[in-house]
Amino acid sequence: MVNMDIIPQLILNSIIAGAIYSMIALGFNLIYGTTKFFDLGYGALSAVGGYSVFYFYKTLGLDLYVSIVLGILIAGTIGLIVYKSVYSKLRERKSSGMVLMVAALGVLTALQAIIAILFTSQFQTLSQSAGSERIFNILGGVITQTQLITLLIGLVIMTIIGLVFRYTLFGKAVKAIGDDEEVSKIVGINTEKIVSWVFFFGSAIGGLAGILIGFDTGIEPTMGLSLLLKGVIACIIGGIGNVYGGVLGAFLLAFIENFGIWQISGEWKDAIAFVVLIIFLLFRPQGILKR
Amino acid sequence: MEYLIHIAILISIYGILGLSLNLVVGFTGLLSITQAAFYGIGAYTTAILLTGTGMNFFLAMILGMVISGVCSLAIGFVLSKFKDDYYALGSFGFNVIIYSIFLNWQSLTRGPLGIPGIPRPSLFGFTFSENIWFLLLSIIFLILVYFVCRFITGSSFGRVLKSIREDEEAISVFGYRTLWYKLAIFVISAMMASIAGSLFASYITFIDPSSFTLSESIFILAIIILGGLANNKGAMIGAACLILLPEILRFVGFPDDIAAQMRQVTYGVILILLMLYRPQGLVGEYKL
Repeated sequence: MVNMDIIPQLILNSIIAGAIYSMIALGFNLIYGTTKFFDLGYGALSAVGGYSVFYFYKTLGLDLYVSIVLGILIAGTIGLIVYKSVYSKLRERKSSGMVLMVAALGVLTALQAIIAILFTSQFQTLSQSAGSERIFNILGGVITQTQLITLLIGLVIMTIIGLVFRYTLFGKAVKAIGDDEEVSKIVGINTEKIVSWVFFFGSAIGGLAGILIGFDTGIEPTMGLSLLLKGVIACIIGGIGNVYGGVLGAFLLAFIENFGIWQISGEWKDAIAFVVLIIFLLFRPQGILKR
Repeated sequence: MEYLIHIAILISIYGILGLSLNLVVGFTGLLSITQAAFYGIGAYTTAILLTGTGMNFFLAMILGMVISGVCSLAIGFVLSKFKDDYYALGSFGFNVIIYSIFLNWQSLTRGPLGIPGIPRPSLFGFTFSENIWFLLLSIIFLILVYFVCRFITGSSFGRVLKSIREDEEAISVFGYRTLWYKLAIFVISAMMASIAGSLFASYITFIDPSSFTLSESIFILAIIILGGLANNKGAMIGAACLILLPEILRFVGFPDDIAAQMRQVTYGVILILLMLYRPQGLVGEYKL
């Protein structure tokens, strides 16, 4: 028997999941669009952001907003450090995409384990007390305040990136590097500096996503990989390297996942996501929107 | 002594996994990160047949290889459409899908509860219940797999694989159907991984989905990248190094849970350092 009452909740769940995926997709797309490399280490930075806030806010008892800002900055800084110490050197040597990907897997594995050593692998939540949160009823479904904030922040970041790309010199330089790095260098763009900034901002967005997830459900050291893979899938189905494509893909993926598990166990979500990815890679590898 | 035998058995099992993955990644140049899926298919087939029907271990192992082979044929067919980064990403996908099946097909695999009480192999009334005999069995399989790998990589078939790695277009101009070569080696590799899975299930006597995650595939990849791509001995050296490493950490005095994480840190750092300073690994003959 088909239960129709849960449809509003399914729609809301899709929107909530889409908001989280689109945050990851935005940061990842920024990095991929500029450097053409699958930065899998990026996944661990969500955990870095989440755990930084956990440390400042819950362990040290700092102010909530101060902790969040610190968490975002730390995620960005670590992303930058990793770029400078690993990826930048490999890129200078013109290493193949596969070398960079394996190095990124190393970064992911090492960062996750370091977090687990520092904070144990236990599942932690960032919100003070579960259940006390404001809840909004929309058309028979519920959405929490954190989830609403996540959705809004995602849309704001998308708009900011879109505007920066369109109107600022920095955005144009980033686009130019994405089109052709060699030529950008020749016309006098300081590519190394711009790419460093891209890594900082991309990682900071990833960190912010981790923080928001921490307030919504919770954090664990290994949260990054599955999150990142969702972000990557969102980018590929939406159109990799395209700011709006990533967000579109994120919501599309979230809807497919959540409606896919309508009649079956929720544990199948990951499998559904990858089936979607493989279908897209086979039949429309450039994604819905072109770069 | 018992402890050393345990380590040696693990090294043989991971040696087989390393050898099998090296055929695909090292010799053919396809960055496949889904070896744990075939390892798991072998382990689950053996576990289900042994506990469910009381079938002979060796027969179950062969059936596991057949199932792995069929799955890998389908997967390999899809993957062969992709290149480089996308190939890796697609192979990720299959690992996650197979893992989800282990976790969710509860009537068959018992899901997260896992399958306990898997018997040890027996042959003509002799049971390999002592670990020392099991070690002998796994070493025999390791040697078998090693010689098959050596035969493959030394043959004309192996030379075609290497030329696919170097320049697929050039070799297809000479009239070789590269798709069939890529499929064939992918299936062979999956069947070998399945052997390792059968041994693992029967040795530990308990399996659950957590042994066959994406991280396990990354670990197997780390083995061959450390040991050396496109070198059969390298795959075994890599397995020995990465299995021994956490044991050494434990002896240094880290508590068990920290030692497990230290192992992850170390092999992550090893991957980074190798990519930076020695992309061909210890004794490798090919750089990614």
